[in-house]
Amino acid sequence: MKLNLKTVLATTALVMMTATASFAADIAVIGGSNDDAFWNKIKKGLDDATPAIVANGGSVNYLRLQNYDNFAPDVVQLIRTAISQDVDGIVIPNWVPEAEDPAIKDAIAAGITVILMNAGGADKAKELGAINYIGNEEYPAGVAGGDYFAKHGQKHVLCVNTLPGSTNTEDRCRGVADAMTAAGFKSEQLPLPTTSFGDPTAVAEAIKATLLKDTTIDGVITISAGDADSAATGIQQSGLTTVALASFDMNEAGLARIKAGTQSFAIDQQPYLQGFLATSLLASAIDFGTSLPTFPVLTGPGIVDASNIDATLVGVEKGAR
Amino acid sequence: MMANALLSLKGINKSFGPIDVLHDINLDIRAGEVLCLLGDNGAGKSTVIRLLSGVHRPSSGVIEIDGQPVSFKSPRDASEAGIATVHQFGGTFPLMSIGRSFFVGVEPTKGIGLFKIFDRKRANAIAVQAVQSFGITRITDGDRLVGGLSGGERQALAIARAVHFGARVLILDEPTAALGVKQAAHVLRIVNEAKRRGLAVIFITHQVMHAMAVGDHFAVLIRGGIAADFRKGERTREEITDLMAGGETMAGLEAQIEAESA
Amino acid sequence: MKLFSSLGGLLRRPEAGAFLGLFAVLIFFTVFGGLTFLKPAGIASWMNVAANLGVIAIPVGLLMIAGELDISVGAMVPLGAMTVAVISGHYGLSIWLGIAVALSFGVIVGLINGYMVIRTAVPSLIVTLGSLFAVQGIVLGLTVLITKSTSVALATEGSAKTIFGDFFFGGQVQVMVIWWLAITAAYIFFVHFSRFGNWIFAMGGDKISARNAGIPTERMTILLFVLSSTSAAFVGMCQAILYNSAQVAGGQSFIFNSIISVVVGGVLLTGGFGSIVGIFFGTLTFAIVTQGIYYTDFDRNWSSLIIGILLLLAVLMNNTFRKMALSYAPKKAVK
Repeated sequence: MKLNLKTVLATTALVMMTATASFAADIAVIGGSNDDAFWNKIKKGLDDATPAIVANGGSVNYLRLQNYDNFAPDVVQLIRTAISQDVDGIVIPNWVPEAEDPAIKDAIAAGITVILMNAGGADKAKELGAINYIGNEEYPAGVAGGDYFAKHGQKHVLCVNTLPGSTNTEDRCRGVADAMTAAGFKSEQLPLPTTSFGDPTAVAEAIKATLLKDTTIDGVITISAGDADSAATGIQQSGLTTVALASFDMNEAGLARIKAGTQSFAIDQQPYLQGFLATSLLASAIDFGTSLPTFPVLTGPGIVDASNIDATLVGVEKGAR
Repeated sequence: MMANALLSLKGINKSFGPIDVLHDINLDIRAGEVLCLLGDNGAGKSTVIRLLSGVHRPSSGVIEIDGQPVSFKSPRDASEAGIATVHQFGGTFPLMSIGRSFFVGVEPTKGIGLFKIFDRKRANAIAVQAVQSFGITRITDGDRLVGGLSGGERQALAIARAVHFGARVLILDEPTAALGVKQAAHVLRIVNEAKRRGLAVIFITHQVMHAMAVGDHFAVLIRGGIAADFRKGERTREEITDLMAGGETMAGLEAQIEAESA
Repeated sequence: MKLFSSLGGLLRRPEAGAFLGLFAVLIFFTVFGGLTFLKPAGIASWMNVAANLGVIAIPVGLLMIAGELDISVGAMVPLGAMTVAVISGHYGLSIWLGIAVALSFGVIVGLINGYMVIRTAVPSLIVTLGSLFAVQGIVLGLTVLITKSTSVALATEGSAKTIFGDFFFGGQVQVMVIWWLAITAAYIFFVHFSRFGNWIFAMGGDKISARNAGIPTERMTILLFVLSSTSAAFVGMCQAILYNSAQVAGGQSFIFNSIISVVVGGVLLTGGFGSIVGIFFGTLTFAIVTQGIYYTDFDRNWSSLIIGILLLLAVLMNNTFRKMALSYAPKKAVK
C-alpha cells in the first residue's frame, strides 16, 4: 500500500502519531481544563518539555477536559481516546481510581507505558503497573512547613484549617504538627466552622482571637493562599507582629508579602515540575529505556521565601509558578 | 317612592372562555340599604363581587354608579369609586398593628421633605376611634397586632377602615361564615351601623338567619342567573332556604337523605 | 401600672427576643471566655464580623419581611471583590472606577432579580438560586479568562483605602463598622419612621391586598432586591480593599449567615413581621456566638455544635415572644 504524500502532510498530527509509533515516543497527557490556573502551570511544564521530545521524532498531545461537569466519564473517555490513537505513552492523573483503573489497565495491556501524575500516589502506581508517580503528597508538605518553622525559631505554630475534615487539609496540618513535635516544639490545628468559610473577616478575627488568647503562639500557617490574606490582617490586628506567617499554596498577594517581609514562606507543590518531569521521564523511558530509581518523584514541597522570591516572581510572570 | 339606585348592574353577562358564569344580571343597590346576595356554592356570587371590586370586567352589560356608567380597570379604580370589599377574615395583615394596618398605603405623616415620618400616634388614635364608633369598645390600644383580635373585631376594623376612607358601597363576603354565634351577632350589629350611616351594603352569606336579620332586599343567584329578587317580608324563611338550595325544597332534600340512609 | 404596661409593650416588640438572646450569649461567653472577650480587641473582633454581615443582613431581612428571599448575595460578595480587584488591581485603573463598576454590577443584578420575581410566578428563592449560580459562573469564568488565576491582588492607597477598607481606633476596628452603624440608622428611619416601612410590612402580610391599597409593590420589590445585591457587592468590594486580594470562591457563608442573623433577629421566615433593630441584635448575637468560641477553652471541633445550639435557643426565644405579641390583649381588670 502506497501512502499519498499530500495526505500525510495534510494530516500531520494524526498520522505522525500512528505511523511512527515504533520509532519515537508519541505521548498523550491527560489534564484539567484551560480555565484552571493550576493546570495551566502543568501545561507550561509539558510545553517546555515538548521541544526535546519533538527533536527526537516524538510528539506530545495534551488531552484536556473541557470542564469538570461530567468528571469521571470524561476522564475515562480521554484515556480511551489516547489508547485508540495508538500512542506509546500516557501521562494520567488518577483522580477517580474506581472509574479510571480499568481503562489504565487496558492501556498497559495494550503495551502503552503509563506514568501517573498529580493524583494517585506511589502505591497506586505500583498496583496498576505504571512506571512512576510524579506529584505531590500533602503530609510531606506539612512536614516541610513544620521543619521550616522549627529551624527558624518558632516554638508554637497554629495551623488554620478552613476546611476541617477534608483529608488533604488534615494531612497538611498533621505534617506540620508532627515535624514541630519531633523538633520538641508545639503545633495545633484551628478548625474553623463552615460559618466562616469565604468570609475573610471571620477568618481574620478568629485568628486574632486565638492569638490573643494564647500569646505563646509565634507561628501561623494557613491551608490555602487566600486564607493567608486574612491571617495577615488577623496577626496585624492582634498587635503581635512577631508572629510568623506561612501558607500552603501561594497567590500574588502572598508573594508580595514574602517580598515585603511580612510573610515568612509559602509551600508550593510546583505544578510546573509535574508537567515537565512526567512528560520528559516518560519520553526518555520509551525512547531510550531509561528508568529512574526515585519512586515516587515528588515535585513538592517547594518552599518560597525571601531567598528565592525574585526567581519565583519571574516564574509567575512566565506562567510557570 | 324609593331613592335612586346608588349602584346598578344592567344586563351583565360574564363568561370565561366558553363557560358562561353570569347571564343577564340586573340589580339595584340603594344607599342605606342592605342587599343580601344569596346562593349556593358556584352560583356566581363571587364573580359578581369580583366584577364590582374591579378584579374582572363584565363580558357585556353596564355597571352604573349614580346613574353614570363606570368601568373598573383594576381594584384600585373600584376602591376610588367608593366600593370597598371586606373578605371573610377581615384585616389581611395579621402581624401589623391596628394603627399601621388601618392606614396601609395612605399613611399619615408629619414633618417635611425627606424626613416625613409616619405619625403613629395620630394613626393609632384615628383607628381606635373609628373602630370604637362601630361599638367595639374593647379595642383601646392601636399598637396591638391585628392577628390578636377576634374574628368579629377584625371584621369591625376592616369595615371601619372602609367607611373611614369614604366607601359608599360595602361588599361583605361571607363575614359571618367563620364566626361563632356571639361574634356573628357582633358583625350583624356593625352591618346595621353601616346601613344607618347611609352606606349601601352588599352582604353575601349562606346563612339565611343572618341575612334576614339585616337584609332589606334579597337576590338569589342560581346557576349564574337571578332566580328571585324580593324585598324584606315578601318571603318566608323556608321559601328563601328552598331558593338557596337551588329551587328544590328543603323538605324534598330531607326526604331524599332519609330514603338513602334507610 | 404605666411602667408595667410599657415593659409588657417592650417584650412584645419583634426585637425583644433578639435583645435577650444577645444578652444571654454575652453572659455565656464572658463566663466561659473570660474578660479578654470584653476588652477592646475582643469587642472589635465580633463587631468587625457583625459589621460585614450586618450590612448584607438588613436588606436580606427587609426582603424576608416583604415575603421574598435573596440568596444571590453569596455570589455578589465575590463579584464585588473581584470586580474592583480586576479593574483596579489587574488592569491598574483608578480605584474609584473599580468601586463604581462593582457597585453598578450590584444594581444590575438586583434589577434583574427583582424584575424576574415580579414578571414571573417563580418564587424568589428559585430566581436568586439561579442568579447565585449564574453570577458565580461569570465571576469564575471572567476572572480566569482575564487574569489566568482565581486570586487577584489589589493594592489600594489614599482616601479610598481610608473610606472603604481600613482600620481605626488603634488599628482594631474596620471602617465597615461605621458603615454598618450609619446604614442601620438610615434603615431604621426608612423602615420604622417613614411610610415606606409600612408598605414593606403590608407586602409581606398580603401582597395582593397591599397592591389594592395603592402600594407600588412591584417597584418596592425591585428596590429591595437592588438594595440587597448592591449591599453584598459593597461588602465584597470593601473586603478586597481591606485584604488587598480577592478570591473567586468565597462569600457563600454570607447566604446562611445573613438568613440566620435575620431569623435570630425576630423576622418571621414567611414575612410580614420583624424589625431593623431586631436584625441588628440578631447579627451581633450571631457574630458573638461564632467569634466568642475562640475566647473559650472548648475544643474547636465542637464549635459548630455550640453555634447551632445557641442559635436554636435564640430562635425558640423569638417564637415565644412573637406568640406573646399575638395573644396580647389588655386585661379588663387592668383598666
